[in-house]
Amino acid sequence: MLSNNFTFSKRLLGFLFVLLGAVGFVAILLIDVFDIGREGGIGPSQRIALAAMLLLLFLGLTLIPLGKHPA
Amino acid sequence: MTLTNKPALRLPRNILLAVATLLLGFLLVVYVAYAFNLISFPFDYDQGEGFELIDTIMFSHGQFPFRDSNVYPFYASNYPPLYHVIAAPFVPLFGTAFWYGRLLGFLSSLIAAGGIGYAVYRAGRHCWIAGLAGLAFLASNTIYHIGPLFRQHMMMVMFEVLAVILLAGVNEVVDKTRRRWIMLLGVLLLLAAGYTKQLAAFTVIAVFAWLFIRQPRRAAVWGIGFGLAAAGIFVWLNLATDGEWWRNVIAANINRYNLDQTLGLYRLWFNLHGLLIVPAALFVVYELYFDRLSIYSIWFVVAIGVGAASGQWGAGDSYFATAIAAMCILSGIFAARTLRGEWTFPANYLSRALIFPLRRFAPVVLAAGALIIPTIYLLYALAVFHMPTDGPLFGDLARAINLRPNTDYAFYDSAGRIAGGYADIGHFTTQADVDAGWRIVEEVRNAQGEVMSEDAGFSLMAGRQPVGNPTQLLNLWMNDLLDSSALIDMIDERAFGLIIFRGQLYPVEVLQAIAANYERYEIIEMNGFEYMLLRPKP
Repeated sequence: MLSNNFTFSKRLLGFLFVLLGAVGFVAILLIDVFDIGREGGIGPSQRIALAAMLLLLFLGLTLIPLGKHPA
Repeated sequence: MTLTNKPALRLPRNILLAVATLLLGFLLVVYVAYAFNLISFPFDYDQGEGFELIDTIMFSHGQFPFRDSNVYPFYASNYPPLYHVIAAPFVPLFGTAFWYGRLLGFLSSLIAAGGIGYAVYRAGRHCWIAGLAGLAFLASNTIYHIGPLFRQHMMMVMFEVLAVILLAGVNEVVDKTRRRWIMLLGVLLLLAAGYTKQLAAFTVIAVFAWLFIRQPRRAAVWGIGFGLAAAGIFVWLNLATDGEWWRNVIAANINRYNLDQTLGLYRLWFNLHGLLIVPAALFVVYELYFDRLSIYSIWFVVAIGVGAASGQWGAGDSYFATAIAAMCILSGIFAARTLRGEWTFPANYLSRALIFPLRRFAPVVLAAGALIIPTIYLLYALAVFHMPTDGPLFGDLARAINLRPNTDYAFYDSAGRIAGGYADIGHFTTQADVDAGWRIVEEVRNAQGEVMSEDAGFSLMAGRQPVGNPTQLLNLWMNDLLDSSALIDMIDERAFGLIIFRGQLYPVEVLQAIAANYERYEIIEMNGFEYMLLRPKP
């Protein structure tokens, strides 16, 4: 990855998006688990952020079939 | 000859382009008139401009404005220094005045617009569209009303635009020495943007994310260098100000959040700019699936995300200015490519399923595009339309087209000014406003004891020591970083001969002390804002 000629392919970018989307989704859900004192469950800001993470995950999945084309 | 350039299409296309240029050109005239109106206005226009002037004066004296707000004169700034440092040389030359700060903001917006036009021309090779893209930026309601203010936001956007444009082609530069110089200059411009206003951090993220996708090694090497330089300046400022830099610029800027304001501003942003947001977004999708991602696309997506912070207390529609710049570039490239008929779709599962079956319609689509593109710019000009409805030229024109003001002033603004956080400015100042300002200055001059004002300009013009920065006192107070006892003691002792309210922005406990010790004796209207003058109770 640290060579002078390395560049992200669409597939690798897709995997990265899937990873970020999945980790982000779980992390946003965990806010309520660790922040025990909060009330009201998953709030509107969290819902928007969760939707954004799902969108990122979906975009990642659609990029994976594009293979080695440079991103 | 491309299909979009056929003689049958050329005439209607050029007529539509000419009308769009005329409309956007008219909005440029309004912008220039507004800028000159503000540059010649000697007092605060947007709340807080006077405090930016204080920062500039302090830097011109070699002093930092990052100070302890717990002690007299209870003043500190919450903005990074670069804009004020650039304006500081004007102070010894021209004295205390608003015009040079506003001129810097105005020139920054023109340079940013020029940069946008250049970026579109470089990528799309279409002069007319490049010009329209630059004009579209200046025509935006948001850019219009914040451009010529004594505020650092537009200078930040200018540095961001220049950095992004400079770095856009850096990976394709073969000559190593030249590439390194471009990288260095680009990174310095990013650093300048960040030390003009903190919000540029998101553009830094976008740029390094793009560099990382293109060549992780280069991103890592330059990222480390950038991080060290930014951190070095940060630590130096913090040490030089005994920690007040961190307290005022970082810790005090974490404010309460209003999601409804954010959603309202997103809705307004789309309503005003949707005609260019859609092609810009389509271009991002195109690059994602059929081409390489450009720096502009990643910048645009990240800049849209910045809008999520616009619901913070103290934030507003200016948080969309960077996204508007990116939008103008991407939509311009989209438009140029459509008019030149230069779209290409490499074979992949998406093009085979969605594009190739429709290939036979390509000539029709491109021909329609020749008319749709100029129509988009024309409709955009109508969507963002704004102008004064009074005065020699604009008043006559407004009456001729039956345009009535839809604000509290003699001003029409297509934004309608209904979204929370949308700046209630853009109208022109009048001689009556200037006279009202000097009346307030006279009150400041005649006041016994200290004077505390929510707009600093009056004290500065009267040669008095400005006391307190209300919004920063409130920022600090909301983050439990303010001990207002010394200020409240002065209020209880009625040490202030005059207190001037504009928005009653002080912390609650300070407002309560003022209410207990002071009474209103006059209201003077300036720029449509009511300045409440209070004196000690008998």
